[in-house]
Amino acid sequence: MFKKFSLEEVSSQNQVKASVQRRIRQSIQEEYPGLETVLEDLLPKKSPLVVVKCPNHLTLVVVNNVPLFFCIRDGPYMPTLRLLHQYPNIMKRFQVDRGAIKFVFSGANIMCPGLTSPGGVLDEEVDTERPVAIYAEGKQHALAIGFTKMSAKDIKSINKGIGVDNMHYLNDGLWKMERLD
Amino acid sequence: MAEKLEPAKVLYCGVCSLPAEYCEFGPDFARCKPWLIDNAPDLYPDLLKEANEKGVDNVSDKLQAVGISGADGAATSSSQTGGTSKKEEVKRLPGGKVKKKERQEVIIEKVVRNKRKCITIVKGLEGFGIKLSDASKKLGKKFATGASVVKGPTEKEQIDVQGDIIYDIVEFITDTWPDVPERSIFFIEDGKKVQAG
Repeated sequence: MFKKFSLEEVSSQNQVKASVQRRIRQSIQEEYPGLETVLEDLLPKKSPLVVVKCPNHLTLVVVNNVPLFFCIRDGPYMPTLRLLHQYPNIMKRFQVDRGAIKFVFSGANIMCPGLTSPGGVLDEEVDTERPVAIYAEGKQHALAIGFTKMSAKDIKSINKGIGVDNMHYLNDGLWKMERLD
Repeated sequence: MAEKLEPAKVLYCGVCSLPAEYCEFGPDFARCKPWLIDNAPDLYPDLLKEANEKGVDNVSDKLQAVGISGADGAATSSSQTGGTSKKEEVKRLPGGKVKKKERQEVIIEKVVRNKRKCITIVKGLEGFGIKLSDASKKLGKKFATGASVVKGPTEKEQIDVQGDIIYDIVEFITDTWPDVPERSIFFIEDGKKVQAG
């Protein structure tokens, strides 16, 4: 998704007004209850929240020039990988086997067999159309953030086709952009 | 649950900016290795072992070179160990394949276009850091003929110069770009007969 992403891709940057800011905070709070305690620090009420719009209906939530969340169209807000590394337990985890790692690194979507093979781990409770964190067999840190195309039960039973869309992965354009200045 | 979540501290590689354990999938693992040995030795214990072995090889190599009587013995042993220690530098592509070392050489070829006319193809200048578009302009000006940059059968690009200029071109290349040594220029005569420029 963020294969090519740089400062030139930004179409507009707006500081949002308080009502919009409140709405964003609320949706993030609903989506990631684990972040509740730290939400005050991440998205302080006083500090200006900047919303950055990019092509492909992509919105970035930026605080202090650091992108924290992103969302496609009106979908759920998803944290950037840097944020996820700091707070690993806010999202559900899927694990892919070792062979899939290099494909995910080039932005490929995650196929069902990668999750159902011996190296893969599926979290049964995950529904379709939900953000998940993708981990790799044998690694401690998240590899990518994805959006499920099928529920975990379907992935296990059907075992064919794309299971999770790869939205944001390590060393992609968004990862390389630690700050937006 | 009023517990405050503490952000986890992640060790990011200084070279490729990925979490240290993912360096092997990063763009240039060979460059990350020395950084990893210093900062995250526990993640790649085999790296430490490799580095130690390399050190041991070099030391034993020196000892052998000094201790063995006779120049022949020293020459062969040092060349052998030199070969194995170079293995570490080999860059591995993600598939596990080994990237072939790009040799720096300029190849000059003459191709017949019509019965009288021919073109001279110059390949390999970019290996010396020369911009092909500038080079082709200079070549065309100097020899008062057309010169252009053309994409060859592989992804590599080559310069086509109209006319037969292979004899003058060697001197021209070494004069204009002193980085190019004369011995790295090769002609092609009936299959790669490596005729040194």
